[in-house]
Amino acid sequence: MRDPNAIDFWRGFALVTIFINHIPGNTFERYTFSQYGISDAAELFVFLAGWSIGIATRGRDGVPEPPGKSVVRLLARTVEVYRAQLTVMLLALAIIAGAALLLDNPLILEWHNAGGFFADPIQSVCGMALLTYQLGFFNILPLYVLLIGVAPVFVLVGRVSLVAALVLSGGLYAASLVFEWNLPSWPGEGDWFFDPLCWQVLLVLGFVLQRWNLRSDVLRRWSRRLFPAGIAIVVAGIVLSVAEIRPDPMLVPSPRLLFTFEKTYLTPARLVHFLGVLLAFAPLYALLAPRLGHIVGYLTQLGRNSLAVFSMGSILSLIGQLVRFQTGGGLLIDMLVAGTGVIGLGFTAWFVEWRTRNRSPRPRP
Amino acid sequence: MAYPQQVSEAAPVSPAARAGRAARPRLSLILSLLLAGPVQAEQVADPGAGEPGLSQECRVPGAQLYAAAQLGAVKAALAENRPLKLLAIGGSAAPGASASYPAKLEAALERALPKVDVVIDHRGLPGEVASGAAERLRTMVVEAEPDLVIWQVGTHDAIARVDAEAFEGALTEAVAWIRSHGIDVVLVDPIYTASMAADVDYNRIVEAVRTVATQQQVPLVRRYEALHYLSSRSDRGEGHMLGRQFRLNDLGLRCMAEHVALTIVTSLARTEAPPEPKPDPAAPPLTGPQGAPG
Repeated sequence: MRDPNAIDFWRGFALVTIFINHIPGNTFERYTFSQYGISDAAELFVFLAGWSIGIATRGRDGVPEPPGKSVVRLLARTVEVYRAQLTVMLLALAIIAGAALLLDNPLILEWHNAGGFFADPIQSVCGMALLTYQLGFFNILPLYVLLIGVAPVFVLVGRVSLVAALVLSGGLYAASLVFEWNLPSWPGEGDWFFDPLCWQVLLVLGFVLQRWNLRSDVLRRWSRRLFPAGIAIVVAGIVLSVAEIRPDPMLVPSPRLLFTFEKTYLTPARLVHFLGVLLAFAPLYALLAPRLGHIVGYLTQLGRNSLAVFSMGSILSLIGQLVRFQTGGGLLIDMLVAGTGVIGLGFTAWFVEWRTRNRSPRPRP
Repeated sequence: MAYPQQVSEAAPVSPAARAGRAARPRLSLILSLLLAGPVQAEQVADPGAGEPGLSQECRVPGAQLYAAAQLGAVKAALAENRPLKLLAIGGSAAPGASASYPAKLEAALERALPKVDVVIDHRGLPGEVASGAAERLRTMVVEAEPDLVIWQVGTHDAIARVDAEAFEGALTEAVAWIRSHGIDVVLVDPIYTASMAADVDYNRIVEAVRTVATQQQVPLVRRYEALHYLSSRSDRGEGHMLGRQFRLNDLGLRCMAEHVALTIVTSLARTEAPPEPKPDPAAPPLTGPQGAPG
């Protein structure tokens, strides 16, 4: 088990934020940082995934592991995430269908685009296996499967040259913005909610920055120097989001994705804002860690077990939405839902670590 | 009305639209064709027996089915004799992919508007209008460049227990935005189902959709009322293995295309003909030879 560190802490922080944001309309939503900026917790989560790849693909001594080993390691992770996505989707559909039956309310079947599945299960089940059929709020894991799946390419290029990996990734990002490339949804029309061709740039950025950070002091020096710029960007983000100022996608010049704030394409404004958030808040962990003992312990434990916690968080937030819907919401219900969720996420992380600790060579029951 | 030109300035023009604009003829013929059909339908309308033109199982009196309003952009598209591009948002396909809502809507509209090619882009829009979905809608509209957005709205906000006022504000803003770009909107309110009938919040969301439609002067398909009517009428007949509410829901999905089509056609009949299109001084070359396909 790793000791508490900044990466796991921020990952845990992102996980709790995503959980709260996935119960729309709840009281605590307005206290998450996602409401006060252009980018949100999804950016943080993907960036930290890239950073973690940087850590995972080298040994304790800092020497990169053999390339083959990195590729297999990432492949194994891809399989894990894919399995998690299938499990979570099946459970989500069952919860939606079960709630509709129990409450005798077909309205619930329409939740998060699930209606498409129940109306057309033959195509949808294929789409589910292909990751092209996604439920609303259940679209980060498909992105994650793809990103970890293609990560070996960038890791291998990065072994030769980190700049080359960044150029390759940035080129794909820029081209996807200009030509509006995205993967299609199926069945049904439309595209992926998180465009992997754009979002990969954040993963690669995390990976490359981790390596540079390790290699020399230049990055740290510059991030200290750019700290005021980070603060300025964060303030600008707060002003823009509170005043609800954003460009009209119909009026911006072409290619429009260079100018809009669209989450699907991780547009440049979101990327710049995220980097600003990074500059402004990265130093915070060192200040917080000694003062927030238990909270740091809790969040880093979530961060260490991010896949299980994220999966459980998706399910818990769906249940939370149903509870809010059926009871009519209100502060008390919201406190109950959020409180149960936060404890549930903590239990999930604890349970995964307990199971790993107790895994013995004895045959399992 | 110069909005097709406005749209073309802001967004790339599809080849089909360009082709349509290049050939801008036979206005009177099309208009007379257009006006003849729907007006006739209206004359025979008998509020007691339900709208004719609807299939037996979907028959609902007009007053309980729709509120008509002007559809200037659709009318202009028809006048220009180009394919009618619709963006249908929400509304899952009814059982069986071939008989799905967008396919049925396309068929119903092409029946009602002969010689018009209807092209439908159907998208799901999960999430709440009051938080985020309205933004994604903008993206969809920019990508699809439709003449008309048919927006089934309110269900997600109702489920998320969004405050009706916040919902109404966000919906007003979104509808006004679409219309400001010369695109028509038809709103479709949420379904009726017995377990929600007494739910105050739910009814306030349905009410909010109605208010926005009235204030923004866009046609409204009153799905809630229509299904309520059908539920009172359809006690007999075969059951549904999942219960009565599910049977009603299936019926609602089957009928939605017909109900939307009738609302559009009726609204078109009440829309004044667009003025003779005059060349836009800002962008004459676009509609000229350069605009021709090839």
